[in-house]
Amino acid sequence: MSRNRALLGQLYFGLFILYLLVPLIVMAGAAFNDSKLPTVAPWKGFTWKWFGELWADQVMWGAFVNSILVALAVVALAVPIGTAAAIVLNSISGKYRATLYGFMVAPVLAPGLVIGISTVLFWNQIGTTVGAPGTWPFGRGLHLATLGQVSYIAAYVMLLVLARLQSFDPGLEEAALDLGASHGQVLRRILLPHLYPAVAASAAIAFFQSIENFNVTLFTKANETTLTVYVFSQVRAGITPKINALAFILILLTLVLALAYEMNRRRRARIEAERQAEARRAEEAMLL
Amino acid sequence: MSAGIDLENVCCDFGSFRAVDNASVSIRPGEFFSFLGPSGCGKTTILRMVSGFIEPTEGTIRIGGKDVKGTRPNQRPTALIFQNLALFPLMPIWENISFGLEVRGVDKATRRRRAEELLTLVDLPGAADKMVSQLSGGQKQRVAIARALAVEPQVMLLDEPLSALDLKLRQHMRAELRAIQKRTGVTFIYITHDQGEALAMSDRVGVMSQGRIQQIAAPRDIYDNPVNGFVASFVGENNIFEGEVGPVSDGMAGLSGPHGRFRARITPEAQGKQVRLYVRPEHTRLTGTAAAENSVEMEVTEVAFEGAFISVHGVAAGGKRLSAEVKNDGVTQVPEVGARVFATFDAARALLLPDANVRG
Repeated sequence: MSRNRALLGQLYFGLFILYLLVPLIVMAGAAFNDSKLPTVAPWKGFTWKWFGELWADQVMWGAFVNSILVALAVVALAVPIGTAAAIVLNSISGKYRATLYGFMVAPVLAPGLVIGISTVLFWNQIGTTVGAPGTWPFGRGLHLATLGQVSYIAAYVMLLVLARLQSFDPGLEEAALDLGASHGQVLRRILLPHLYPAVAASAAIAFFQSIENFNVTLFTKANETTLTVYVFSQVRAGITPKINALAFILILLTLVLALAYEMNRRRRARIEAERQAEARRAEEAMLL
Repeated sequence: MSAGIDLENVCCDFGSFRAVDNASVSIRPGEFFSFLGPSGCGKTTILRMVSGFIEPTEGTIRIGGKDVKGTRPNQRPTALIFQNLALFPLMPIWENISFGLEVRGVDKATRRRRAEELLTLVDLPGAADKMVSQLSGGQKQRVAIARALAVEPQVMLLDEPLSALDLKLRQHMRAELRAIQKRTGVTFIYITHDQGEALAMSDRVGVMSQGRIQQIAAPRDIYDNPVNGFVASFVGENNIFEGEVGPVSDGMAGLSGPHGRFRARITPEAQGKQVRLYVRPEHTRLTGTAAAENSVEMEVTEVAFEGAFISVHGVAAGGKRLSAEVKNDGVTQVPEVGARVFATFDAARALLLPDANVRG
């Protein structure tokens, strides 16, 4: 009975993984097929040429650099804003907390195109008010794409940091104050070091959220394009396996990063387990 | 350097709840002073008022003769040791210890040297580069003390720092804490609900109940001459008798009640109040025949072997529970369960005490 149940569980797990991976495998396979169309069947022979074409595509490179720049700017803005919001939220309570929380989280729930359109309208309005509509920084461009993305990505940062703050012992803050630290010193030496894992994780998430963002960017960008918008334009113009090659590289990159993260996590867990074992030995030695 | 602390008519209210009620105490420089009481008696509130995390609603607190009203925790010459120790888990031990120096802008080499000195002082040399999670409970305790000592406080405030430790370690750390206090000469204010801890370590103890300081005295005095029933019961076991108190002569008075007539000591403060008689089990003898005074017949219901002594429990008329401790010296007779014996005590060892000092 229990063996049957275990078997069923494994079967379900296997099917689930298959469901997730098969499209990726098909798509990756198409990147190596010597065919004009992005497909694995019929297989017309193995080739690297789509990677070559991708490498030679100057527009793609421009869009890629833009994506990276926008993502870095989003990280630089969203991480401090989200972290600060989390710290403030954690120190207040009642209806002010509920209100601020609502304001911060609302952009996550709003559709991307609404954020995109409202960002453009908002800045255009300001531009009109000051008498310079459409000029920088009031007109569309990658800077507006950045601001639009920050408005919802900062909320992800806030949620992650807020979760980490739950495990912070406020006694540590009191202890530091009692030892003569100022509030600034408590923040820098005690609170932020505790939050760094969540801050780092949220920076990574903010970066990838920005890279993959399409709808906000589509509405706020001007002539300069980003990678997702570029891929979209390619699909309209008629797709070639060059895009599959690009996707294959992105998947590979993601896998490598995830693997590195997991290995680092296990190494830290091992170090911590060794430390605790040492503490237990010290405890026992004391009682002998 | 150490400073004395004076509390003058200090009150602390949380909304309509009065956590500390009219507390006055003068703690001497270099003294090991304990506040002892059950949880919720206001002892931690006193500590937090001295450290500056709470301001008193009324009254004055002076540290080293200086009124500290409005002085923030980080500007008071006090160092607090927290119940959960609150060591910084992400810093190595030496940075933990020298944190108070770091925030004062002391250079790294000096800080490192000072941390090593303090680790030697608390008998934990060689732990400077370890992390907090590598240390046992007792070792963490020492680090917390070293960290507090690093800022050269004039007063150390300790909030039940041993409560998280195992019994054996706790007893070991008692002696250790006392030794560190003597070595440094810093005034220690110690908060605990464990009467054994308070009595064993302190120069003086303040026993608290319901926000009020009931008695301030040396441990011996607290135990032998409690001022009221609460103190007597909180620091040890008692046989208690009710009754009407008679006329006082020479500090002694009679008490007659359902269990007979007794004679016991009465303090001037207790006179004219409703009192009960308190006598410790170790001052209660078991005799085969009734003594001239202060004897109550009882039937032995339980004989518990405790090692150094044997605890004998019994029931007197009216279901009154009594107990006596018999020394395990091989000479004193130990009665068996079911035996009828007389619980007898000296009038000089028994006290007539009012109940706790609470607001009427």
